[in-house]
Amino acid sequence: MLETEVAVVGGGIIGTSIAYFLAKEGKKVVLLERDHLACEASGACDGLIMLQTKSPGVQLDLAIKSVKMFDELAGELDYPIEYQRRGGMIVVERDEELETMRRFVHSRRQAGLDVDILGNEEARRLEPALSSHIAGATYCSSEGQVNPIYMTFAFAMAAKKLGARICTGTEVLSIGMDDGRIRSVSTNLSDVKTDLVVNAAGAYAPLIGLMAGMTIPIEPRRGQLVVTERSPPLIGRGLLDARYILSKSSSDTPSAGADTIDRLSGGLALEQTATGNVIIGSTREFVGYNKETTPDGITAIVKHSTRIVPRLKTLCAIRAFAGLRPYTPDKLPIIDLLDRPEGFLIAAGHEGDGIALAPITGKIVAESILAGKVDASLQALRLHRFKEDDQ
Amino acid sequence: MSEDIVICRCEEVTRAEILAAIEAGADTIAAIRRKTRAGMGLCQGRTCRRLIAQIISQTKCRKMEEILPATFRTPVRAVKLEAFCDTEGGTC
Repeated sequence: MLETEVAVVGGGIIGTSIAYFLAKEGKKVVLLERDHLACEASGACDGLIMLQTKSPGVQLDLAIKSVKMFDELAGELDYPIEYQRRGGMIVVERDEELETMRRFVHSRRQAGLDVDILGNEEARRLEPALSSHIAGATYCSSEGQVNPIYMTFAFAMAAKKLGARICTGTEVLSIGMDDGRIRSVSTNLSDVKTDLVVNAAGAYAPLIGLMAGMTIPIEPRRGQLVVTERSPPLIGRGLLDARYILSKSSSDTPSAGADTIDRLSGGLALEQTATGNVIIGSTREFVGYNKETTPDGITAIVKHSTRIVPRLKTLCAIRAFAGLRPYTPDKLPIIDLLDRPEGFLIAAGHEGDGIALAPITGKIVAESILAGKVDASLQALRLHRFKEDDQ
Repeated sequence: MSEDIVICRCEEVTRAEILAAIEAGADTIAAIRRKTRAGMGLCQGRTCRRLIAQIISQTKCRKMEEILPATFRTPVRAVKLEAFCDTEGGTC
């Protein structure tokens, strides 16, 4: 039987980040991954690190801190994570949407973010591939992108160097408790004796929660994406569009002519990776644990993105894939060290913010474990914010 | 077989890199793809998929049919994005 101080469940970007920051603090860590590293959502997503999309308050504060950590991590982790701080934009298609986006930008600026709103000409000077019909775009120079798969590998390898044990092909089957506290974890391989379990299983966190007798209100939300062949530089920055943001504001009706992408609750997410491939997303669908791509979903993504960046039409799609984002009802992750069962920590539910928030999540979890409690400033992330009847 | 022979032509991945990935614990076609980019290029592994399966089979003493994936991802071959714009569903 293995014995460890902390067992981290989940080998995605969140679990490996936690393992790294714990190992750095000298904690004895075992990471348990059912399959291989980054084989769920962390390996089936874009690598955008966006700030503007985060709500002012705890979410944006954490994201700003997290993004600052990427520069340091790029030097500290001995792995080519393809981190590039190239800035990000939210494209606004219609003139009447500009006013809402001005308010959106204002609220972020007040929270300390370096974001501006640009008109058509300025936006297209920065990104000449944008369609001439757009009204403008917001722009934030602190945003960037990373290779999420390599980032996960980088955290795992660095954790391993610091003494963490990374066990892939190791599925957690049950959690042993005694007198209201965690004692052990059983897996398909060895059992692990531990007083602390970190549930970083993303969309699967509720299943691990059940093993410890609790309900965690996370739901899988499917995001479909398309990857193109390698292309000479086409897009310099990470691009989103205002649709998702506007859809949350009831006074605005969605743009005409994009019904499918609206029905699939999606919006544009576009990046050109270090290798030159363009990743185009994405849908946001509740279809249980189904990771299939659909013709409807892919068509909607392609039609929507080619309207905003027409030159994409000349590229070939080489692959489509989908990942399950861990959705929570209030769009905030759950980070909580519980009293009952004692020794159970949840760090999951980041939905589409997992890549951006991975560094800060790892750091917070390590600090919480050392302190024996989650800092009071993070009350909004605790599990008990969800009332019983919401669960 | 020479170790510097190119297995994945699209992403220029050698046999030595595949062997190193297997050594590091990537023992499926998907895990090797994530580690080395083999099979991530224009042809999406149409040429190298079987070669990689053979290397896994030989190194890990496993049967080929256990290693090869049962399903292939959409689109099965590269398609111009323009082509999607002429199809039903969503509006351009």
